[in-house]
Amino acid sequence: MRFPLTALTTAAVLMLAGCGLGDAETPANSPAASASGGVTGKVSLQTWSLKPKFTDYVQGVIDSFEKKYPGVEVEWLDQPGEGYADKVLSQAASGTLPDVTNLPPDFALPLARQGMLADIGRSDTAALADYVEGGLAAYRFAGLDGVYGYPWYLNTDVNYWNAELMKKHGLDPAKPPANLDELIEQARTLRDKSGGKVYLMSRKPELGDLTNAGVKVMSDDGKSFTFNTPEAVAVLDRYREAFKEGLMPKDVLTDDYAGNAKLFTEGKVAWTTAGGNFISSLAVDNPSMAPKVVSSKAFGTPPLYVQGVSVSARSKNPAAATALARWVTSPDNQAAFAHLTAIFPSTKASAGDPFFSKSDGTNGGDAKVTAFASLPEAKMLQPVEVGEAISKVVKQQFSLAISGGATSKEALDTAVAKADELLQQ
Amino acid sequence: MTRTFQGRFTPWLFAAPGLVWLVVFNLWPAFNTVVLAFTNAKPLGGGHFTGLANLGRALNDDQLATALLNSVIYMLVCLPVLTLLPLLLAVLVEKKLPGITFFRTTFYTPVVASAVVVALIWEWLLEDRGLINGFAQWLGVIAEPLPFLTDRWLLLLSAISLTIWKGMGYYMVIYLSALGNVRRELHEAAAVDGAGAVRRFRSITVPGVRNTMLLVSVLISVSALRVFSELYVLSNGTGGPGGQDMSVVMLIQMYSRGFTGHLGYASMLSLVLFVVTVGPMLLLLRLNRKGA
Repeated sequence: MRFPLTALTTAAVLMLAGCGLGDAETPANSPAASASGGVTGKVSLQTWSLKPKFTDYVQGVIDSFEKKYPGVEVEWLDQPGEGYADKVLSQAASGTLPDVTNLPPDFALPLARQGMLADIGRSDTAALADYVEGGLAAYRFAGLDGVYGYPWYLNTDVNYWNAELMKKHGLDPAKPPANLDELIEQARTLRDKSGGKVYLMSRKPELGDLTNAGVKVMSDDGKSFTFNTPEAVAVLDRYREAFKEGLMPKDVLTDDYAGNAKLFTEGKVAWTTAGGNFISSLAVDNPSMAPKVVSSKAFGTPPLYVQGVSVSARSKNPAAATALARWVTSPDNQAAFAHLTAIFPSTKASAGDPFFSKSDGTNGGDAKVTAFASLPEAKMLQPVEVGEAISKVVKQQFSLAISGGATSKEALDTAVAKADELLQQ
Repeated sequence: MTRTFQGRFTPWLFAAPGLVWLVVFNLWPAFNTVVLAFTNAKPLGGGHFTGLANLGRALNDDQLATALLNSVIYMLVCLPVLTLLPLLLAVLVEKKLPGITFFRTTFYTPVVASAVVVALIWEWLLEDRGLINGFAQWLGVIAEPLPFLTDRWLLLLSAISLTIWKGMGYYMVIYLSALGNVRRELHEAAAVDGAGAVRRFRSITVPGVRNTMLLVSVLISVSALRVFSELYVLSNGTGGPGGQDMSVVMLIQMYSRGFTGHLGYASMLSLVLFVVTVGPMLLLLRLNRKGA
């Protein structure tokens, strides 16, 4: 009877090996890189899934930079879309973070806390005047002084409505809901008129919905969550009632980010939120539906999505790295990028560009203009401190409240307690 | 001298690639997990010794208790079903009948399919407007869709059913090879003595494949306690409302990922899962010794 012992040992080793976790390097709290000195030497630029679609654009930006600074050589690294966070994490842990890296604010925060990113508030003060405040605010973190990234491009969400489904079931697509009350009201009409076959609502609330309802999600020092308030209870209660009434599919309880956009594309729901370029992707996935979609401004304060580039505090050529980061995010280069795809520049100089503010008359053009017009009031609705585990815990508790498994108050209290525990440990 | 040297080290040279692999990718990570379990390690920073703090946290973690309960239920259902049903299936398809290869292949097909693809197909079957709810409503059996994917117990049951459906073919093949070693003369002699099919199954087939049954039981116990993909895909990674359908591996994944992952605590959860998994295996081993 040797094999059970062998099986037991093998299983034990495999089980533990499967959970093996590499030790992390504890970096020194490096000072911000000094941007003084000559712009020379070799610097690396890391982008996130821009090849092959934007190869010509990025290479053009690099070529013009090298032409402007003859002593500089730029090495361009483009990482695949999948697993980018893991890649950056392994680079940071092994001390091989590129000189200039595309980091959204939630990626930049933990690196900034470890002193791995340069504070452009100190190293490149003059640059701050070029960018819109919302973009810079995304790289200012509670508990840290400074700005840890150059805002690169911005985006926001708009509402998309399936005009055909709305008309067919007694709703006027020219008057789509403008707030949660109207959304629930029209969802009820759609449900009744379609005999329960079509939904309007297909997502559960997120932290952003609480922010929009006036709930303060996190304390100012970024050390604890504060979203278990009566206002938050009221929001969850509204959704719970809507769920109980059958105004949204039961499967929303286990949805993921693309849940409502997917159901919208399949023609199962008549409303989704998405970025300004959604109709162009819809034209590929469901060409017959794309022309029948209309857009409107997001409810309340629109969400702000920011991408930026940060300079490594350990860069051997901080002056060249800083110059490259600023070059990539310069008004001209950002405007050229935004003309290629549906993103919006984060520089003040692009605010008056008619390319963004005037529609070409198509519904896709209208959506782009709606998104651009929303940007001045858009804000990051969810704190950057909300990592993967916290986000999951919050989703789980919100689902529990909406399904009736706990009261909204209980679910919010549990979510805050668990999120605080995760934040502080 | 050279010949002796070569004679002594040649086997090690041949084994070296495998040994290096074993040490680097199995033993070292396993050891490292034990070390990290007693620290506050994070992907960036941390790593200080914290004694039994992680263990204390685990003992007070209601989500871990829920996950352990789910894993134990998973094992208690899967163990008997997946130990016996594939054996019965193997006895059936072992017979040399025309077209039996078709059935063997059919039963094995779910094993070949990727777990994620299989789970997605099951999601389409079980969702609110999926095939099963739609068909049941069309027949008038139910008025409202059954929440297969959103009710705590129905989701667990759905995942267990998926595991059983997928595992049947795999364990059937293992049993088929074991059944080939059971001597046919014993069946013939018992039949001559008047033993029926059930009696022959109990007194000849089962003792003949006893060791295989034990191996299958151990494999099922380990995989059931470590269940991940079925629950993950059917709940879209959320673990269901309130996370009530999380498994321990899903918890480990949740705590270990991302820039702010809690590697120390995730390692402690791995140790807890290890201890929990060793228990049933030792029990099965003991039962087998007693039986022998």
